Amino acid sequence: MAIRVKQPGLLTTVQDTGRFGEYAIGMPPSGAMDVFSYQVGNYLVGNEEGAAGLEITYFGPELEFTESAVIAVTGAELPPKINGEEAPTWETLAVQEGDVLSFDYLKSGARSYLAVAGGIDVPVFMHSRSTYTLIGLGGHEGRALQEGDELKVGESGDRSDRVGKRVDDDHVPAYSDAPELRVIIGLASYRLTEESMQTFLNTEWTVTPDADRIGYRYRGGELEFVEREQPAGAGADQANVVDFGYPIGSIQVPGGVEPIVLNNDAVTGGGYATIGTVISVDRDTLAQTKTNDKTRFRSVGLDEALEARKKRRRQMAEIKEALA
Amino acid sequence: MAEKTVKAPMPGTFYRRPDPESGPYVEEGGSVSAGDTIGLVEVMKSFHEIKAEEDGTVSKFLVGDEEAVSAGQDLVELE
Amino acid sequence: MGGVETELPQARYSYGGDEFVFVELSEAMSLKVNFRAMAITNKLKEEAIEGIMDICPSNASYMVRIDPDVLHPDDLISRLKELDEEVGDIEGFTLESRVVDVPVMIEDPWTHETLMRFRDRHQDPDATDLEYAARINGYDTKEDFIDALLGSPWLVTMIGFVPGLPWCYQLVPPEEQIEVPKYVRPRTYTPERAFGFGGGFAVVYSVEGAGGYQLFGVAPAPVLDVKQELKDFQDSIVFPRPGDVFNYRRVDREEFDEVRARVEDKTFEYRKKEFTFHPDRSLEDPHAYNKEILEVLYGDQG
Repeated sequence: MAIRVKQPGLLTTVQDTGRFGEYAIGMPPSGAMDVFSYQVGNYLVGNEEGAAGLEITYFGPELEFTESAVIAVTGAELPPKINGEEAPTWETLAVQEGDVLSFDYLKSGARSYLAVAGGIDVPVFMHSRSTYTLIGLGGHEGRALQEGDELKVGESGDRSDRVGKRVDDDHVPAYSDAPELRVIIGLASYRLTEESMQTFLNTEWTVTPDADRIGYRYRGGELEFVEREQPAGAGADQANVVDFGYPIGSIQVPGGVEPIVLNNDAVTGGGYATIGTVISVDRDTLAQTKTNDKTRFRSVGLDEALEARKKRRRQMAEIKEALA
Repeated sequence: MAEKTVKAPMPGTFYRRPDPESGPYVEEGGSVSAGDTIGLVEVMKSFHEIKAEEDGTVSKFLVGDEEAVSAGQDLVELE
Repeated sequence: MGGVETELPQARYSYGGDEFVFVELSEAMSLKVNFRAMAITNKLKEEAIEGIMDICPSNASYMVRIDPDVLHPDDLISRLKELDEEVGDIEGFTLESRVVDVPVMIEDPWTHETLMRFRDRHQDPDATDLEYAARINGYDTKEDFIDALLGSPWLVTMIGFVPGLPWCYQLVPPEEQIEVPKYVRPRTYTPERAFGFGGGFAVVYSVEGAGGYQLFGVAPAPVLDVKQELKDFQDSIVFPRPGDVFNYRRVDREEFDEVRARVEDKTFEYRKKEFTFHPDRSLEDPHAYNKEILEVLYGDQG
């Protein structure tokens, strides 16, 4: 059983929950950027958590199924079509041998997830199937899909009884083109002047075209560093620090003008001052923003971040239960 | 004559010329054949050629050079 | 969260969102602060606390990734503060380490081509990276600078940026440390295995890609082997480990090609020896201790 790639879309990659535990050797986790949509896709088709699916960015692929399959499309409003007929999202669908799945233009959000019963069966590399294109490992040959690729699908047994199950409307996210991302200010935030920290939090930033799985770069304001005599090992520029680790979701401001939020495929460390970190739940929100969207950053405390995380866990458990 | 449009397949920045030193791919009033490049959309550190799907004459650009575009947005009118 | 005052340089404990705890031991780099980062993270590893996903020592700081559903960041921070006190000024702390011979060709044709291509992004478009670095560090000639650069071994103080890239800080007294700014604007290309320098750190780029460090040469042997074909990579795709001592040794084109050939036919193995590193001895008299370390590495060479 396989999926034949007739047209790969802009950037379609195999992803799962990610490659954890390797940060110390410089290996970022990769994995689905919008964890919620990816996981719910697996719930819909009855996969075990962590089964690999496809992450589809901005512009969808054309995929031919060489055998019948049970699938679900979640995430961005990138309307799927089966043999040219519009099909629902957040719902379990059946496709037959020879059916072609394609997508209409993106309406809202940025990333769609295709879950297939049995999961996309690519080799596991360092306990994950996620694609890390920078050094070409994981996923399908370590790269984004190309025309002519064939993807194997894992054994799933008969899942036809799942077809027609759908996620309750209350749980289907609506994607804003001007969301707010919650941030815990910290790390080397002492490098920014107080005034600049206020500017950072009060500015409506615009997502530049330079926004991908490595990082999202924003434009819209100018930030200044506290003047200091640079410490040993840091290098001469005021934006530089002695190279340190970057958390996923951390925000750096290389030239003082374009903040960058680091994502799943980011570099794990470097010498730019970081000023805070997007909370884990809101990484899903970020993943559904696209070039030219607006974004605001709101400072929150750890308690609010942990509460949001708990709430998301409860919601996912509820969805899973309802679809079981 | 029926008017057709060429759409942006993805969000990004629209460019009418291959690089800052060159002239535009096509001017208003110019004719294009199916497969001709009419502009570029820049997103995720790469440039994607936008091609006419059929022969025609460019009656109007609906988006200016270096303007932000969204997915599915009409870029050019062809007649 | 404010900074936390200790008798040692002020450590800053900070949340990196809800999944990371970031601890900056000092804003300034020094061998001592890196030894502290390694001592604290080594102790933390030994404790095998549930809910810890990654422990990442870095140059003058460290970072811990946790699952906050299992381990509350504040509980971790409390423990880290205790460990910090236990480690103190690292008196008596030892490190199980390796000393490694790392061949490097200075002023090779490949990085030279690259650095000439990106001259417009450099502080000094009329000099090479090496000439510039020699001048601003007060060396009369390029050769004097190379002698200093390769005259003393380096401590691997952090791995990251991309898989396998080692940050190395030279085992010399503070006044002898070389310091060079990064490029004004980063290059879009750096050859694989380029030997670079930025801030106070020497690196070997594990993969080709963007980069902002000054380019001095290239290493014939890899630091990353995703296919794990070389013997040194059987246990991990990454060769360097924090706490390794790298002795960058200048090789000519002939030896460079010879090492490349052994890498290509998969018979290459780094010359290396395990030894117990005594940070306090290194801090006390680095040059004398370096001699001993290099004796461990090359002593049986005859």
